[in-house]
Amino acid sequence: MIQGGIGWVAAVNVVIWTGLFLYLLRLEAKVRDLEKEP
Amino acid sequence: MNPGPASALAPAVDTRPPSAIWRALGWLLWLWIALAIVGAFLWAPLAQAFIGQSSRILFFHVPMAWASFVAFLAAGVWSVLYLVRRDADHDRAAAAAVELGLLFAILATVTGSMWAKVMWHAWWNGDPRQTSIVVALVFYAAYLVLRGAVEDPELRGRLCAAYAVLGLVVAPYLYFVAPRMASFTLHPQPVVNTAAKVDVEIRMLTVLLASSLGFTALFFWVHRLRLRLLRIDARKNTRT
Repeated sequence: MIQGGIGWVAAVNVVIWTGLFLYLLRLEAKVRDLEKEP
Repeated sequence: MNPGPASALAPAVDTRPPSAIWRALGWLLWLWIALAIVGAFLWAPLAQAFIGQSSRILFFHVPMAWASFVAFLAAGVWSVLYLVRRDADHDRAAAAAVELGLLFAILATVTGSMWAKVMWHAWWNGDPRQTSIVVALVFYAAYLVLRGAVEDPELRGRLCAAYAVLGLVVAPYLYFVAPRMASFTLHPQPVVNTAAKVDVEIRMLTVLLASSLGFTALFFWVHRLRLRLLRIDARKNTRT
């Protein structure tokens, strides 16, 4: 049984994936800074 | 992973950052995958003959396996390009593709194992498809071991490229042929639907294809990021 229903599971997934994407976007910003270095 | 120093005749490493379009595509990819997740849990119906909500894991497990296959194929293609052109960037691209292919294959194996526990009451069953993905994992893990074992960058590039080109035969065989050669498999047949018929329910198919496309795009996006990091490493090595 899934406590809180399937909507809760979907919401947790969206939160996790959003966190992953924000991390990757932040990583990309750091890589961009490194690329600009002489 | 050490990309090795460039030779005096090798072109400079191009580390120009990508355009704003690539950054925008990243946000679009997030939106796409978020919609696929919502569709997987709230829109696609459950498949019959699956216990409870367990069929929903297929919208992640199958795309992850597919993305790993795409990654291994891409590694083979970049390796062919390296053998033809001897451009170190192709070697870096192949290596990054194998790394990510392994990551997606491990994720597919883990999610598959979770589903196996629910459906078959054991984390591992010796099923042909389970066995073949483990063989694929070992095969491509050996690529990384080979890469770490050879110091000379040009020799390393040639050996690893030849190995990954072999993977262009091995990967399709392990993913699509070997599991079908077994006389019996616990795995569901390639189509999954709510009434156990041959055709796939349209909503399930839509979410499965959307998720597969999203994971494939995710691979290429993260691959590009990894490749840029490898280029930065290479640039630093040319200056030391």
